[in-house]
Amino acid sequence: MVEQTMKITSEDGVHARPATVLVQTAGAYKAEVSLEYNEKSVNLKSIMGIMSLGIPSGADVKLKAEGSDEEEALQAIVDTVKKENLGE
Amino acid sequence: MKITDLLKQDTMILELEAEKKPEIIDELADKLDEAGRLHDKEEFKKAILAREEQGTTGIGEGVAIPHAKTAAVKEPAIAFARKKDGADYESLDGQPTYLFFMIAASEGADQAHLETLSSLSTLLMDESFREKLLQANSREEIAKLIDEKESDNKEDQEEEEAQQASQQESNEGDFVVAVTACATGIAHTYMAADKLKETAKEMGVNIKVETNGSSGVKNKLTQDDIDRAKGVIVASDISVETNRFKGKHVIQTPVAKGIHEPKKLIEQAVNQDAPVFEGEDDSEGEGSSMGGGEKTGFYKHLMNGVSNMLPFVVGGGILIALSFLWGIESENQLAQWLSTIGGGKAFFLMVPVLAGFIAQSIAGRPGLAPGMVGGLIATTTATENASGGSGFLGGLIAGFLAGYVVLLIQQALKNLPDSIDGLKPVLFYPVFGLLITGLIMITINPVLVSVYTFIQDWLEGLGSAGIIVGLIIGGMMAVDMGGPVNKAAYTFGLATLDAGNYAPIAAAMAGGMVPPLGMALATSIFKNKFTNQEKETGKTAYAMGASFITEGAIPFAAADPGRVIPASVIGSAITGGLVYLFGLELLAPHGGIFVIGTVQSEMIAKPLAILFYALAVIVGAIITAIIAGFLKKPIENR
Repeated sequence: MVEQTMKITSEDGVHARPATVLVQTAGAYKAEVSLEYNEKSVNLKSIMGIMSLGIPSGADVKLKAEGSDEEEALQAIVDTVKKENLGE
Repeated sequence: MKITDLLKQDTMILELEAEKKPEIIDELADKLDEAGRLHDKEEFKKAILAREEQGTTGIGEGVAIPHAKTAAVKEPAIAFARKKDGADYESLDGQPTYLFFMIAASEGADQAHLETLSSLSTLLMDESFREKLLQANSREEIAKLIDEKESDNKEDQEEEEAQQASQQESNEGDFVVAVTACATGIAHTYMAADKLKETAKEMGVNIKVETNGSSGVKNKLTQDDIDRAKGVIVASDISVETNRFKGKHVIQTPVAKGIHEPKKLIEQAVNQDAPVFEGEDDSEGEGSSMGGGEKTGFYKHLMNGVSNMLPFVVGGGILIALSFLWGIESENQLAQWLSTIGGGKAFFLMVPVLAGFIAQSIAGRPGLAPGMVGGLIATTTATENASGGSGFLGGLIAGFLAGYVVLLIQQALKNLPDSIDGLKPVLFYPVFGLLITGLIMITINPVLVSVYTFIQDWLEGLGSAGIIVGLIIGGMMAVDMGGPVNKAAYTFGLATLDAGNYAPIAAAMAGGMVPPLGMALATSIFKNKFTNQEKETGKTAYAMGASFITEGAIPFAAADPGRVIPASVIGSAITGGLVYLFGLELLAPHGGIFVIGTVQSEMIAKPLAILFYALAVIVGAIITAIIAGFLKKPIENR
């Protein structure tokens, strides 16, 4: 399993649109991908799951991936977060 | 924000007519517009469509949440719609969409928007809930389903949070508490609180911060919080209730430090790098340990007034006593100055300060000004011959009156809009508090003062009927210690002194010396029944009693009138009776032991007369001390 912590810097936090992009990214990989915030962990392949966390600006989130392509999956998600100016 | 606050029955569509995405959006937006939630339907629709262009909001699992944040929204709302057979909403998972939630957020509602999304998604993650929404037969049923689901979730969440919180605290152990307050109670109080919380989080320290702002105490610390805390931070520019922190390491600092050096303060608190707080006033502890709700409050308010009045009584009283060293009504410049500072000024402020701080204890800072002015009215709006007004009993009334008046005003103004909240402490409370308290005091004070004139007339009617007059004059001196009854007896003594009858003034002075001397003696004899502060006060009361400054007993009487006043009256009355019994006369108007040389008697020789006079005072004082000692309850030692 691989994991990485990121800080959400987008002013609006993780709202619907970036959540959709993250889910689309995660959906392209076989690995189980999850996101943890405020001691709650959700499947990164479910938009409602991510939105249900209501992640605000300034939050620290932990990304985890587990499976045959875990390295690539995690890297892709981290890249997406940065590309979307969602966090760093 | 609750979902059902946003999603009302008038924005629900049980079965959509539209089949395709653009028409569905039209139908939902129409619904919101009909219900009056939008300023401009076309603008709103444009924003919704712009959002859809960035990526569909058909988020899969049969749900779509078209949403937009725009100034075209009049009030935040959610529209709900169903399509039983499913519609093509270009969903991410390519499946038909059955449930639609259109979210209309107003401009600038960033955080609220995110929270709405969050709580809505939380509900919809549950597949059985989605199914129930589809099956529901009426709008009422849908509203009920959402409401129930939301409160269920909330309970779960709160339970979880509570568990987490207790776990965290027990795991990490470092828990500190803080109180913030500033002079106006509008900005700095909350800035310091935020800063402390933020910094504590970064440091991994658990913190609970109580804010004492102009709108009252928020997030009040419980005794349990205080007991568990390693240290206490009091970041305040004004006085806050600190006695509850007794035995804790307390860091007292200006509120500005809470904003600029939160890290240092928290470190100090965690490392217990501060002296252990001893408490300022033991008696307050007694009040709370007695546990009786209202009695405790009453006692606490009195004590707050008395402890703030004490410096005026002690300082002023001692200066007056010193001025007597030059003889009564001396021409000596220094003696006159001392008398002016002590009697003219410090004693003048005594009752207003008492009343002001009683009111402050009841109503918080807004109570102070009406209380002080009310106290001043009590002592200064005199009718003829009553220069002392209604004295300290009138002051007590003024203090409680002002306190509860301000509480009522606070209650009455509670529902004013937030935008003028800041005006309350700087404008509304002072103006209305002063106006109402002042008017009431001005109205009732003459009634209080008329007690004075009535008694004086009655005394004059009594004439010189022997020992009973002595008892009455002596006892009256102790009833209110400087108030109308006391002044009535004393001025009666002065009037008869002028007329060449020296007995009443002898009884008045002796009786007036008894309360402070008696209470002083009580603190020396019954050590377990007085607080340390009272014992200190007792020492100065000896000096004041000896100088015939009856006010020296006020701190005791004001704190516990029900016990101290009867004890004082009985002692003083007996003293007055004894003075008459021995036919003692006094040729000076004031001065206590400094003028005892002027005592004489037609029945016994002068040296004996002086001795008897001293004995009469001492006997009365002992009686007062013993009665007070028995009436008062022991202070619990802590």
